[in-house]
Amino acid sequence: MDFDYTSLQRDFREEIIRFGKKELSPGARERDRTQHFDRALWDKCGEMGLQGLAVPEEYGGIGLDPLSTAIALEAFGYGCEDGGLVFSVCAHLLACTIPIMKYGSDEQKAKYLPALARGEMIAVNTMTEPESGSDAFTMNTTALPDAGGYRVNGVKTFSSNGPVADLAVLYAVTDPEKGAHGGISVFLVEKGTPGFSPGQKYEKMGLRTCPIGEMIFDEALLPAESMLGEPGSGTAIFNDSMAWERVCIAASHLGTINRLLDQAVTYARVRKSSGKKIGAYQAVSHKIADMKIALESARLLVYKAASRLDRARDVALDASMVKVLVSETLIKAAMDTLQIHGGYGFMAEYDVERTLRDSMGGTLYSGTNEVHRNIVARWLGVG
Amino acid sequence: MPDKSTIRTAVKEFILEKFLPGEDPDSLTDDTPLISGGILDSISTVTLVAFLEDRFGVQFQAHEMSADYLDSPETIANTVEEKLG
Repeated sequence: MDFDYTSLQRDFREEIIRFGKKELSPGARERDRTQHFDRALWDKCGEMGLQGLAVPEEYGGIGLDPLSTAIALEAFGYGCEDGGLVFSVCAHLLACTIPIMKYGSDEQKAKYLPALARGEMIAVNTMTEPESGSDAFTMNTTALPDAGGYRVNGVKTFSSNGPVADLAVLYAVTDPEKGAHGGISVFLVEKGTPGFSPGQKYEKMGLRTCPIGEMIFDEALLPAESMLGEPGSGTAIFNDSMAWERVCIAASHLGTINRLLDQAVTYARVRKSSGKKIGAYQAVSHKIADMKIALESARLLVYKAASRLDRARDVALDASMVKVLVSETLIKAAMDTLQIHGGYGFMAEYDVERTLRDSMGGTLYSGTNEVHRNIVARWLGVG
Repeated sequence: MPDKSTIRTAVKEFILEKFLPGEDPDSLTDDTPLISGGILDSISTVTLVAFLEDRFGVQFQAHEMSADYLDSPETIANTVEEKLG
């Protein structure tokens, strides 16, 4: 067990942090205010390789192992203050590109992975429906055999990147009798497919630069070769992609927590109250100490889980534990940093309030924390 | 290489211990429907597959984690036996 970064991990981490600070963070406050997804910044991320971190080099990616991918995303979350952009890249990479990398046919991989890895295509994962959220497998969208392919009908919602996506990774019921146990399949649906269109776009509390909306499938006829994996693989592919998403988005959150910690420390060392720097007061310094302890603990769990992605079936348990711990640690870090900043923390100018708003979605997306506590309990044989 | 009877017995013992604690062992027959009968949900199916992969050194593909391959101790034993070749 080696807790040190390799020289490659360390160098790439520093490069991403520099890139994020210089190229991506300027203007984040204004983009948040206007809910602006900046395609030029997305393209810069593509040039940096962020959308293809885990994609093999032969398909245009960087070819990192899962742990190195998590370390790179942690750096991204630290250096890039545009939380919505970080989320967009993570959703694209973890819930769309990686499933294609792992389960795609040679033709699908050759057709989509290079463009996805370079950010030339944007992908959206379409799973959630208006009446099925964390109970995702109760979905109503169907893809039934027709004309040598599959006829799709249904509405997906809360689809991150949906309004700007070129390719959808669609989960649909192909065998209603089997349901979640072999009755759900995955399809790759290109923008412009007749019967497939974006629906309502939503305004969010946080992560506002990541566009989100509905995806509508109305008698969309998909060719048989658009299926990802074998018929009935949907549940397993989804669970695998969610393990990646839960662990590696949490890795980006580690970076955000680290940034908040640095921000809190800097402020506590210069801001004075009653003649003393506020860091001299234990009411402040203990908050900062707790933030550091929570960050280092969470980092260990994330790294352990990331190192087990792709080689352990029960990484789903790790992923649920990561999801709960890191999302709640992030919210607490944001609230404590805001509190340490006092009234200034409440002002948009200091950017802490935006980070707090961005952090609030973490207990909701990729399954609510209540569901993840249920999952942990069930892995332990209770609940 | 374990024979089908050995696989079936190991599967039953695992299911009784993990998912049916306190149940009469005789209530779990070779043909008890595990997935379609609601004994295994998506999490317990993954747990079972992890056990099978570890115990018998086989690998399951995504589409094989379904009722077609895992719905009863008999079906599971057939699936594992086929993988063992």
